[in-house]
Amino acid sequence: MRDGRATDGGQPTASTGASAGSPDAESTDDAGNAGRAAVAAAWQDLVVVATRELRTVTRTPALVAISIGFAASVFGVAWAGTGAGGGFVPLTLDLLTFVEVLVPLLSVAFGYRSILGDRRTGELDVLRTFDVHRVAYVGGVYLGRALALVTLVVASLLGVGLLVPFFTADLPTFLAINEAVDSEVRYVRFVVLSAVFTLVVLAATVAISAATRTLRAALALAVALVLALVLGFDTALVAGLAGGAISDGGLAVLVAGSPNSAYRGLVLSAAVGVVGGTDVAAGTPVVNLVGLATWWLLSISVAVWRVWPVVERSE
Amino acid sequence: MTGELLQASGIQRSFGEVTVLSDVSISVDPGEVVAVVGANGSGKSTLLRILAGVSPPDSGAVTIPPGAGSARRLGYLPQRPAFREGFTARDTLLFYAQLLDGVDNDDVSRTLDRVGLTGVADRAVGSLSGGMTRLLGLGQAVLGDPGVLLLDEPGSGLDPAMVDRLFAVVGALAAGGTAIVVASHELPAVETHADTVAVLEGGGFRVVDTPEALLDETDTDSLSAAFLRIVGADAGGATVASGTGRPPDDTESGGAHDDA
Repeated sequence: MRDGRATDGGQPTASTGASAGSPDAESTDDAGNAGRAAVAAAWQDLVVVATRELRTVTRTPALVAISIGFAASVFGVAWAGTGAGGGFVPLTLDLLTFVEVLVPLLSVAFGYRSILGDRRTGELDVLRTFDVHRVAYVGGVYLGRALALVTLVVASLLGVGLLVPFFTADLPTFLAINEAVDSEVRYVRFVVLSAVFTLVVLAATVAISAATRTLRAALALAVALVLALVLGFDTALVAGLAGGAISDGGLAVLVAGSPNSAYRGLVLSAAVGVVGGTDVAAGTPVVNLVGLATWWLLSISVAVWRVWPVVERSE
Repeated sequence: MTGELLQASGIQRSFGEVTVLSDVSISVDPGEVVAVVGANGSGKSTLLRILAGVSPPDSGAVTIPPGAGSARRLGYLPQRPAFREGFTARDTLLFYAQLLDGVDNDDVSRTLDRVGLTGVADRAVGSLSGGMTRLLGLGQAVLGDPGVLLLDEPGSGLDPAMVDRLFAVVGALAAGGTAIVVASHELPAVETHADTVAVLEGGGFRVVDTPEALLDETDTDSLSAAFLRIVGADAGGATVASGTGRPPDDTESGGAHDDA
């Protein structure tokens, strides 16, 4: 039995053995050791759960097929657009909307059954008898799915980015050009921001999976999430601006409130920068980052809170 | 009582207006097999979920001492165990073994052998029969030699030989000091293997005694007949509980009453 294990599934924390009559410093050390052991045990459980999730993804034919479809689509978009033939920034602009739409759909595919599946089979109840902490379980599910999904997104985007040097026409030597305008560094920023966006949307999907009790409810909420991300928030912003309900000052905050808008703003400012000789501004980068971080934190918190109730047990 | 591995007292659980468990108390000593029997809907699964710590009671307390078991204090087999279909039976137990300290591949192999799944260890869970899946659930429950084992209808869907094997495993675990609570409709097996039979009805334990004592008290020659007499059902009648509150005192009230 793991000593000092942090638990919340009805299993009391195991005693590490009290030393009778020990001084305060010694009991503080004991508490510290127990705390470290609990964290170590929770981390170990998290890794075990994450490994299982990774293996689940690779063994699920539907997810493998969707992954292949996504990668092929990325290459298709690059091939069809100005993309790989036009340089890194044109490729980014080609892929931006595509990523905004497909990453939420991918996240739903990868995440909406992640925790709900264990609830439906009863394994969620079983896992709790193994003294697995809620944070370790949710963290493991999220980490495993995120590793698979982020790897897919990053590998696809980087893969198509590698084609740019081969397809871009030779630049005329008689023109003075700014190397910073179109560079692989800007494209790497786009890929990194896409990975961050993927992590945020997946967290929201995992929260839905933890909070719902039926497949129908999970699917309905997941579809609603995708529609809100892809259409709802932006439509509301445009309507608010057109109707005069949103001031220019409040726009930056509201843009950051939608993961898609925040992601788009960050890509435009950090990975595109200049379009037609004009700096692109879409919200405030720091506020956009805070917006994404808030979405991520709230989603993970909801997942941990809703995955199972804390059951107290006396020893 | 000293030496109890599991003690629950004053367990109360309601779902809306329906009271399923009312002031239920139970204690199980090391090596004791307590069988909880009752009509469908009498609250057996609810009680086991509360004892397992996966469902909170409205009131009451469940106590398991910290030192119970070796790698694990509690093992639990839910009523309808199921596992991820893309994994083999061995993979599944290996996953759970990794959540326990000191439990390794050899322990997994021994557990597979113990529950009779060695021959299908490398078969995908999705291709196992319902009975095999239940045995895999039993394997998960006994992994790590828990001090307390809670089994919710473990014999459901198993053929008679498998039921015998399952209860043989239960008996061996009890002989090793495991405290076992089993909810079961397999009354012949319960009669043979249980030390104590607790009849759950009307939100509480109607009778708690040894199988022999129950036969004497009801003047019957089998636990099945004793059960029917205790819950007041005819042999051909239904025994489904669905109501609230305490049962009537008359054990011979006849038919399935709806206040369980």
